[in-house]
Amino acid sequence: MDPRRAETGKNSDQIQSGHVYHLALDIGGSLAKLVYFTKNDEHIVGSEKKKSPMKASGISNSSRNSPVLNGRLNFKKFETSKINDCLEFINSMKLHLGGCQQPESPGSQTITIKATGGGAYKYADLFKEKFRISLDKEDEMDCLVAGANFLLETIHQEAFTYMGNQKQFVWIDKNDLYPYLLVNIGSGVGMIKVEGDGKFERVSGTSIGGGTFWGLGKLLTKCKSFDELLDLSYRGNNRAVDMLVGDIYGGMDYSKIGLSSTTIASSFGRAISENKERDDYKPEDIARSLLRMISNNIGQISYLTALRFGLKRIFFGGFFIRRHPFTMDTLSVAVNFWSKGEAKAMFLQHEGFLGAVGAFMSSDKHGLKELLANQKVERPPSKLSFSLDQTQVPQQDGELNGDESIECSVYGA
Amino acid sequence: MATKGSNSIHRSSSRPLLDLSKAEIQGNVEEKYPTILLPNQSDDLSHLALDIGGSLIKLVYFSRHEDQSTNDKRMKILKDKLGILNGNRRSYPILGGRLHFVKFETNKINECLEFIYSKKLHCGGWESHHSDSTNDQNAVIKATGGGAFKFADLFKERLGISLDKEDEMDCLVAGANFLLKAIRHEAYTHMEGQKEFIQIDPNDLFPYLLVNIGSGVSMIKVDGNGKFERVSGTNVGGGTYWGLGRLLTNCSSFDELLELSQKGDNRTTDMLVGDIYGTDYPKIGLSASTIASSFGKATLENKELEEYRPEDISLSLLRMISYNIGQISYLNALRFGLKRIFFGGFFIRGHAYTMDAISFAVHFWSKGTAQAMFLRHEGFLGALGAFMSYEKHGLDDLMVHQFVERFPMGAPYTGGKIHGPPLRNLNEKISWMEKFLQKGTEITAPVPMTPPGTTGLGGFEVPLSKGSTLRSDASALNVGVLHLIPTLEVFPLLVDPKMYEPNTVDLSDHSELEYWLTILSEHLPDLVDKAVASEGGTDDSKRRGDAFARAFSAHLARLMEEPAAYGKLGLANLLEMREECLREFQFVDAYRSIKQRENEASLAVLHDLLMELDSLDEETRLLTLIEGVLAANIFDWGSRACVDLYHKGTIIEIYRMSRNKMQRPWRVDDFDAFKERMLGSGDKKPLPHGRALLFVDNSGADIVLGMLPLARELLRRGTEVVLVGNSLPALNDVTAMELPDIVAEAAKHCDILRRAAESGGLLVDAMTNTLDGSKEKLPSVALMVVENGCGSPCIDFRQVSSELAAAAKDADLIILEGMGRSLHTNLYAQFKCDALKLAMVKNQRLAEKLVQGNIYDCVCKYEPAY
Repeated sequence: MDPRRAETGKNSDQIQSGHVYHLALDIGGSLAKLVYFTKNDEHIVGSEKKKSPMKASGISNSSRNSPVLNGRLNFKKFETSKINDCLEFINSMKLHLGGCQQPESPGSQTITIKATGGGAYKYADLFKEKFRISLDKEDEMDCLVAGANFLLETIHQEAFTYMGNQKQFVWIDKNDLYPYLLVNIGSGVGMIKVEGDGKFERVSGTSIGGGTFWGLGKLLTKCKSFDELLDLSYRGNNRAVDMLVGDIYGGMDYSKIGLSSTTIASSFGRAISENKERDDYKPEDIARSLLRMISNNIGQISYLTALRFGLKRIFFGGFFIRRHPFTMDTLSVAVNFWSKGEAKAMFLQHEGFLGAVGAFMSSDKHGLKELLANQKVERPPSKLSFSLDQTQVPQQDGELNGDESIECSVYGA
Repeated sequence: MATKGSNSIHRSSSRPLLDLSKAEIQGNVEEKYPTILLPNQSDDLSHLALDIGGSLIKLVYFSRHEDQSTNDKRMKILKDKLGILNGNRRSYPILGGRLHFVKFETNKINECLEFIYSKKLHCGGWESHHSDSTNDQNAVIKATGGGAFKFADLFKERLGISLDKEDEMDCLVAGANFLLKAIRHEAYTHMEGQKEFIQIDPNDLFPYLLVNIGSGVSMIKVDGNGKFERVSGTNVGGGTYWGLGRLLTNCSSFDELLELSQKGDNRTTDMLVGDIYGTDYPKIGLSASTIASSFGKATLENKELEEYRPEDISLSLLRMISYNIGQISYLNALRFGLKRIFFGGFFIRGHAYTMDAISFAVHFWSKGTAQAMFLRHEGFLGALGAFMSYEKHGLDDLMVHQFVERFPMGAPYTGGKIHGPPLRNLNEKISWMEKFLQKGTEITAPVPMTPPGTTGLGGFEVPLSKGSTLRSDASALNVGVLHLIPTLEVFPLLVDPKMYEPNTVDLSDHSELEYWLTILSEHLPDLVDKAVASEGGTDDSKRRGDAFARAFSAHLARLMEEPAAYGKLGLANLLEMREECLREFQFVDAYRSIKQRENEASLAVLHDLLMELDSLDEETRLLTLIEGVLAANIFDWGSRACVDLYHKGTIIEIYRMSRNKMQRPWRVDDFDAFKERMLGSGDKKPLPHGRALLFVDNSGADIVLGMLPLARELLRRGTEVVLVGNSLPALNDVTAMELPDIVAEAAKHCDILRRAAESGGLLVDAMTNTLDGSKEKLPSVALMVVENGCGSPCIDFRQVSSELAAAAKDADLIILEGMGRSLHTNLYAQFKCDALKLAMVKNQRLAEKLVQGNIYDCVCKYEPAY
């Protein structure tokens, strides 16, 4: 393996306020996502060591300078309903000071950070009031696409398929990446046809998304969190509430039209029984059925949309997936089923953070420049780009949905 | 229940009770048609099919019309004249009859069994009275739906019939294909609360996407009869709505849940774009009220389920599912290049909001290039398909023009709603009407629909929570009885039958509809008086008169609330409905005595009129004749103004007064062009027409002093004349049955008429010679009578009798007379032969609207062959 692979891991404890230089936010309907940069202490700026083999950064190798900065990209998320926790976190980590010109006089001046997602509008006042942070709003979809393009182009093992508990990384030639369909499953679902950097169009979508899963799940079970609901679904059996083809045709396949007896004929179609109340159904089963219903539906509409626009790849992202194996599996099965095996669903390692990464990329890296200036770099670069030097080491499956960080380098141009 | 003992009692009745309206439609149009019964077929002809679903049982059954052969001499001569050979006449492989649609709740399957039993539908055919009990045991009934398996034993045990199970999807497609091809205006769009009926060219129907929304959703690509493939579907369907709805609310029925949605506001449960952005997201064209995430709002709040209104939850669910189905359907249609998408299945139930939501989704995602369509008989697709699966029904090739849909009282209820025990006879029906009256407003003031324009903005905006109740099965309710009249044909002289629209007045305009409904309401008491008097004013007739008034008022009220209740509505349909309603309550001919009196009075002065005419030169005579037709057209009991006139003078006085008032130019005056065609100009004498069809209107002066003299003039000029009369009475219109007598009476005064009538077989008694052909008489062109196939004051040229169609083959002139046939309908109709439309406008509004004139203005519209 490449000796210079990134060390990713939960590292929030290690964060020192003084090391945080750059931050972007994606505040969605359900979750607020943070991406921020921390400088590595051990790295000497401008060091010639560890010349990146990274073929896939956005900048041609010939003009590539040595990294001007090495550090980590950190990912963190909060439930939007607990936006105060997020604010507290930002405050406690002094993240917002990273870009401040006068860190010695915190709070004396309004600073600006990049943000996207609907919440960037909604909570703008709150940020301003509490911490004098002015949110510079970036278009959500721009960010999403920029984030996905960046990750797919630069991270070696960003995309993978997931079928029958088999996770398989897919190497994608960055020259053969476009066009693709990006399905972002947040509260709702946006389907975006991406043809290149900054070239994209929202071609479809559906209102049946993560918010539906969590919203309905909350009403139907007593779950307190999205994750709890997901956990429940893992243990459930949808047969109790779904009407299967076998239920209709007496346990036999309806082979005439190619439906097996376990195919869901009608989600929740069995919950119409007169002598059963809600409490008579196991919350696990309900959660499972919900998850299957929603995943299936998204998979189907995505496939039909990709077909319509002749897109050969479908990437699924957004917080709904959370790299939850069962969710990915259902989406994959749906795409596989409807495409008769022609198409495969692909997922992104950093699916929940596309918007935040995009917002991060969109910034002028102001704070970093300040940092560089302070570090007395001989030749302060006019433009900075990021490269993730290392191939990603996959974590335990499905566990990359929390806080993590990736080692990376900043290059000047 | 059905024991053998009681069976025999039922069988002893002379014929099975087939339909509510059966008994009273004696002498009905369709029953006079010579239906040809293939000798071995009747016992095989199956007549009942079932679709037993999880919640509803749908029945489709066929009741045959009485087999009557009309072999009188007149008909024989007529057939000779018109070139219709008895044997060679298109032999109709099927029998005329009626197709009935009835629903029962599956959990009340006993009602269904009783219904079948009481109507003897289980007895293996309409000829049940001569089948014996062993036959009953062998009866096999086609059935589909899951219940066809589940209840097979029950049917065997209780009715002694075996259910022959047909594949569900086969049935669905067969049913849809049949409806789309054979029923006019079966399909409609539903956008923002507005229904619009679509006529689909049967030759341009395939391929289409059929989306059947049951518990789950199947999407079927249909390429032709029996050629289809299930290409897609979704597991998010009606079962999901009901299942989730049940878990989330305490509703005890699907309909209850649906009803709740009407009062819902999904903003409390759905996350809207505005909730996320606080504003629109114009960059991608999403407005603040767009649903970003169904039920997403629930994630933002710490509220318990009980804190949400069930109404809001129901609406949110309904939108989520409808919208999703619309989207996936559109994507599939696009994928397979299908231009039409039809939605059916129990989930829709004619529920306006559901249809709007689906329509919106299709419209939204297709950017307006595709439209969702719905079927009026959607609930019956499976049952109809099962019916079609009988091998010998002979219905495969039925054409649109062979069906007439009627809405007898009870049909809106039997056809849609589940009702109690079947009404066996008129008496029960009247009692039932009376009961309804006692229940107050239920029937006369139908449940208000959400006003147009408020249910829609399809799936995005929130509906007004106005209507306190919802007619969830609004359109499913409006399935009438389909009268199959195999002998009906399209009038061959129409220039473009596909583009032809009989109605001149568009009743989709609400004020227009209101006006005509008011006219009909105001006219009702007078009509009831006439009807009761025509039956001698007996207590029985009074009771029937009351029931008729109630029934017809209920129809009118219903239409006021929902103009599309009975399908596409035109003035002609409205007028026909009134006549049908009268017949339903056994008023065979409400104006019988009036017509007789007026005919007699007119015939008495005919001789003088003819003398007067004969003294005129040709040109003056022609003008006087046309004047006479227009003047005599004033005798119209359908016109309020004219009814008032009658009280002021005798028929002859009015006629003379009316004629004296005839000042040219008339409001529409093409007389000179007509005269030119008839008489030519200068020395050029044009050839006379070969055959003229005269569509006559009213009895009395109108026919006797107006049209007959005109017919006589044509005959004199060597033109064969065919008088076209109504098949069934309508107001004081003269019927084809009455015409021969009137002609015979007139012939006593006129040799021309007599000889022509003899030649045309109208004077049967004096005609033995002609029949033998042994003695050559003076060659005379014939005067004939045919019926038009209608029982309405208007005429729809898409559906005329085969006699008329045959007579039209050699005709080169048609004359339409009267408001009903030349103004209300056909004012703009174009014909392949010369056409003269004559009418006096006896309605101020119509005069203003159609001819920018006034009441009593005249229309003489002549159009040479197109």
